[in-house]
Amino acid sequence: MIIELLTSKYPGMRIWLSQRITAVVMAVYSVLLIVALLIVSPDGYAAWSDFASSFLFRISTFLFFICLSVHAWIGVRDVLRDYIFNQTLRTYLQVMVDLLLVIYVVWLSIILWGL
Amino acid sequence: MKLSIYRFDPDVDEKPYMQDYEVELQEGDNMLLDALLRVKHQDDSMSLRKSCREGVCGSDAMNINGKNGLACITRIADLTEPVIVRPLPGLPVIRDLVVDMTQFYEHFNSVDPYLKNDDSLPETERLQSPEDRAKLDGLYECVLCGACTTSCPSFWWNPDKFVGPAALLQAYRFIVDSRDHAEAERLENLEDPYRLYRCHNIMNCVEVCPKKLSPNAAIVAIKDLKIELSKERGEDKPAKKYLELSWVEYEKR
Repeated sequence: MIIELLTSKYPGMRIWLSQRITAVVMAVYSVLLIVALLIVSPDGYAAWSDFASSFLFRISTFLFFICLSVHAWIGVRDVLRDYIFNQTLRTYLQVMVDLLLVIYVVWLSIILWGL
Repeated sequence: MKLSIYRFDPDVDEKPYMQDYEVELQEGDNMLLDALLRVKHQDDSMSLRKSCREGVCGSDAMNINGKNGLACITRIADLTEPVIVRPLPGLPVIRDLVVDMTQFYEHFNSVDPYLKNDDSLPETERLQSPEDRAKLDGLYECVLCGACTTSCPSFWWNPDKFVGPAALLQAYRFIVDSRDHAEAERLENLEDPYRLYRCHNIMNCVEVCPKKLSPNAAIVAIKDLKIELSKERGEDKPAKKYLELSWVEYEKR
């Protein structure tokens, strides 16, 4: 099954498929967000605040950001592996990117749930 | 006609250099290879590979005005002068326009480019329906010139690990062959993170193929097939749904 393809038994497929799945999730979210904004068309601070604090918005935006992080992680990882030949520099850059992505996700959680 | 040709003889030269030539074309000189052979008459130290001179053997693949192609089927009339001729990029140069294609052939060999069928031999040949035969159109025509693989950035960055468009096209050619019974094994053989998945659909392969084939479509089809196979795993069957589409139909999708 598809889930099996995301395990370490399929090292190549796992990475490729994750990038495709996250891309689909992001595309769907983007369309839904536009449609939702058109339908709700929030006007003023209170309306925007209501819109942004709904559970559906929070959870879908969080999911979107997780997907964005995974997608970006794979992409940047491939670029670093192709272009940076110095192992130390590559590891350093990779750790920086990973750290940045984690910070973004934590930051987003703080914004979304006001933790 | 003016040409600028990449010259390098590792026994004599320290560094490669570009040499300018001017040749007088004669009647019947229509293709770049004709002009290169005029150069060869002028300066017989200039080396290149060629054989059939009609786009069938794939020997004279080179980089022509920045784009890989076969000199023998590249029309002089379509080229801007001076024509800059270099060896295929990304492969070691043996001399002038002659490159060492060992790596290219190793990748080709790694996909087992031959029919695997353990059934007992039939009395005559193994038959194929016209529909099954049609699935090989757009695949069997490859002449292994190497123009696609050497124009692929994924191959430039990982020449030892990424199999490259030419070999992947060949892999697919045997995967869809109705006479071959090793589909699952062939798909497993491409599971490594580099061998197949380093293709990022850059499409240079499609752009340069002198036979107008689409290695990229074959690569996409292999990836789809691997997903299909996983759904049917356990039944020990290839992914029939895709295999039943003819290649031409697949490309149109």
